[in-house]
Amino acid sequence: MALTGGNPSCSEVINAIQDHLPALYFTFSRGKTELLADELSREWDFLFPREKERVREMVREAEAAQPGLFGPRRSKLKQILTQGIAYHHAGLSPALKDLVERLYEKRLIYVLFCTETFAVGVNFPAASTVFDACRKWDGREFRGLLNREFFQMAGRAGRRGFDPVGMVYVRVDDRFPEQTGFYSEEEIEPVRGHLIISPNTVLSLLYWKTDEEINRLLEQNLAVYQNNREGRKIKQDLAELDEKLAGLREVFCPQVDTPACYILRSKLKKELRSLARKNKRGRPGTRERREEIRNLLKTAQKKCHHRPCAEARRKQADLAERKSRLERRMRVLGSHSRDYERDFNRVWDLLEDLSYVEGRKLLPRGMFALHLHVQEILVTELVFNGFVRDMPPALVAAILAGVDYIPGRDDRVDPGPYNLREVELLRKSLLRSGVPENFCVWSPLPGPLASAWYEGASFEELQSMSNFQEGDIFSVIRREIDLLRQIERAAGEDSELRRQVEHIRRRLDRDEVAVPGI
Amino acid sequence: MSVQKDRFRQKAKRRPLRRDAGKPAPGGPIRLDPFQETAVNSLMEGHNVLVAAPTGTGKTLIAEKLIERVLAGGRGIVYTSPIKALSNQKYRDFSGLYGAGKVGLITGDVSVNERAPLLVMTTEIFRNWCFANPEMLDDMTHVIFDELHYLDDRERGTAWEESIIFAPSHVKIVGLSATVPNVREIASWIAEVRGEPVKVIEERCRAVPLEMNWISPEGRVLGEAEAREYVRQRLERRRGRWAVPPDEEAEMAYD
Repeated sequence: MALTGGNPSCSEVINAIQDHLPALYFTFSRGKTELLADELSREWDFLFPREKERVREMVREAEAAQPGLFGPRRSKLKQILTQGIAYHHAGLSPALKDLVERLYEKRLIYVLFCTETFAVGVNFPAASTVFDACRKWDGREFRGLLNREFFQMAGRAGRRGFDPVGMVYVRVDDRFPEQTGFYSEEEIEPVRGHLIISPNTVLSLLYWKTDEEINRLLEQNLAVYQNNREGRKIKQDLAELDEKLAGLREVFCPQVDTPACYILRSKLKKELRSLARKNKRGRPGTRERREEIRNLLKTAQKKCHHRPCAEARRKQADLAERKSRLERRMRVLGSHSRDYERDFNRVWDLLEDLSYVEGRKLLPRGMFALHLHVQEILVTELVFNGFVRDMPPALVAAILAGVDYIPGRDDRVDPGPYNLREVELLRKSLLRSGVPENFCVWSPLPGPLASAWYEGASFEELQSMSNFQEGDIFSVIRREIDLLRQIERAAGEDSELRRQVEHIRRRLDRDEVAVPGI
Repeated sequence: MSVQKDRFRQKAKRRPLRRDAGKPAPGGPIRLDPFQETAVNSLMEGHNVLVAAPTGTGKTLIAEKLIERVLAGGRGIVYTSPIKALSNQKYRDFSGLYGAGKVGLITGDVSVNERAPLLVMTTEIFRNWCFANPEMLDDMTHVIFDELHYLDDRERGTAWEESIIFAPSHVKIVGLSATVPNVREIASWIAEVRGEPVKVIEERCRAVPLEMNWISPEGRVLGEAEAREYVRQRLERRRGRWAVPPDEEAEMAYD
């Protein structure tokens, strides 16, 4: 019986593919990898005693290097590793991910439940890849996997010089058979350009680049290039269509569309029949029109093979429809042709309104924001309003942890001893002065984690004060370290500010949060 | 409940057939494939190169050959990757291959050995350098963009575009990408913005071909035709008494 819903259960899947292990079992949520790993471990064991001993040894070594590696949350993982089963997702601490990866490379994991990130970059080939489902949440909506995404993962199947073929298995879920994915390498999606003009892009262009270079970005970026190319292709197609239409005109006989012509006559006859229907008969004008048609039809029909004319007329309608579709597309392309110039000017105007620039000249705020690459406006305002230099460092750590953080639905952190209302007020006033929402992304939620870490709390304490997974805590602090480095660079001559952020950064970059192996 | 739990524990776990047990781990490819050979040669001739090949065909090997030659020539080279964790991993790999002294790592939150001849960076950092300190790239002959198809990423693609457009003009572009149908279009775009030709090297064959299968709710392994038929029947059964699609029904009424 499937414990996590839907048949076949992962145990049945593994049973069906047991000749093709090790397998990477892809799912699209972290929780699912853990549930499935747990479920499989109740029924299956893949390792011989000698191998189990090797696993235990590697686990011991890793724990010696980092005590509390498995913590309270991963005791189950530690247990199933000895059965040759594991899971891997972004919620794990880097040290634990590293252990799982090393065990996998040593061929001590037979089924690895993982999320998409396992398929990017570093090559971990397997005998087979399994797709638990073919739909994922992409930050906006649930959607089917693209061909490109599917093959990025599926392509991990097949170890070079080892497996004659790589086996790919897609699970057909009995509850959602309609969601079963079918993919083809022939249908991999083309790469499209999606340039975004950020405040930093505008400041960098104004400060370092000539007008000519600015235009190069706005007029020659990939999206514009692709649109222009498509436009040229459409123009060509339209010219060809016009030629074909002209050619068709010559097919018609001189009497086409006169009362002697079969095509016009059959059209008129049809109209006559329709006017004879009850619902139309009484309408004003109907009688006169019928009379008119009857008179027209009195003309003798031309004796001719009307086929070529009728055929040409049909083709003509076809071509006309294709033409109008292309013209519509052309209008859409035309309406986008100045998008980037418009976006650029919009951000430039905003920066001028906020006194970051004056024409092409960068003012102090602009010079500061030039060195920032995340939430440039919000961070600059925090600094210029004294939120970084003049506050206690633990509070600064809390404030900056929330920059660019969008809380998930279930994220929970115990509130800290600090009041972050002032930041919220600053954010509100920025929004009121016309700064768009996506340039003011901030949340008070992760703050207490950062201030506690600054004050010397242990990683376990951080875990106990929130429901964040280890990998999430790690990335909140690492992102803050990244931001602090940016502010340090932006501080320039302001040595007091620089000392403050450097001090915070050094206190944050320690122990479990330090990048392993570097 | 607890009785059942105990029974579970006592039950012997299932073991798979282990046909591959004891076989040695496969060694990496030693000789270059023809497509790798072509790519490396074009790079040595000083061309901009775009390599598109399926995962696992050895694009990394091309990068490594190039890095070897550049370092041997006493020049520098930049390697960018889309993900921080990947940059860290690459830094460790390259340190093992070429010696830690030769390799630097810059990812925003980490900065090691910034003056090394081989610099591993995130694409965002490379983009920032192109604006703020292009002189740091004076001695670099190439920039390698791993996973170049990230150009398509809605949030992050901009970093790749700005890097390609604003990389100093003496730096050659090397793009490594998964298979994409419009690789030639991307190449001609790069050629236009760089004002230099870009060679395209495409490998469509996988080193190990894939075999696609589906697994039915009963645990049977199905081929594509069977799977499509299976799904069709399932859906039809779900539609219940309207087993025949409405359109066909209408047509039948005329008969």
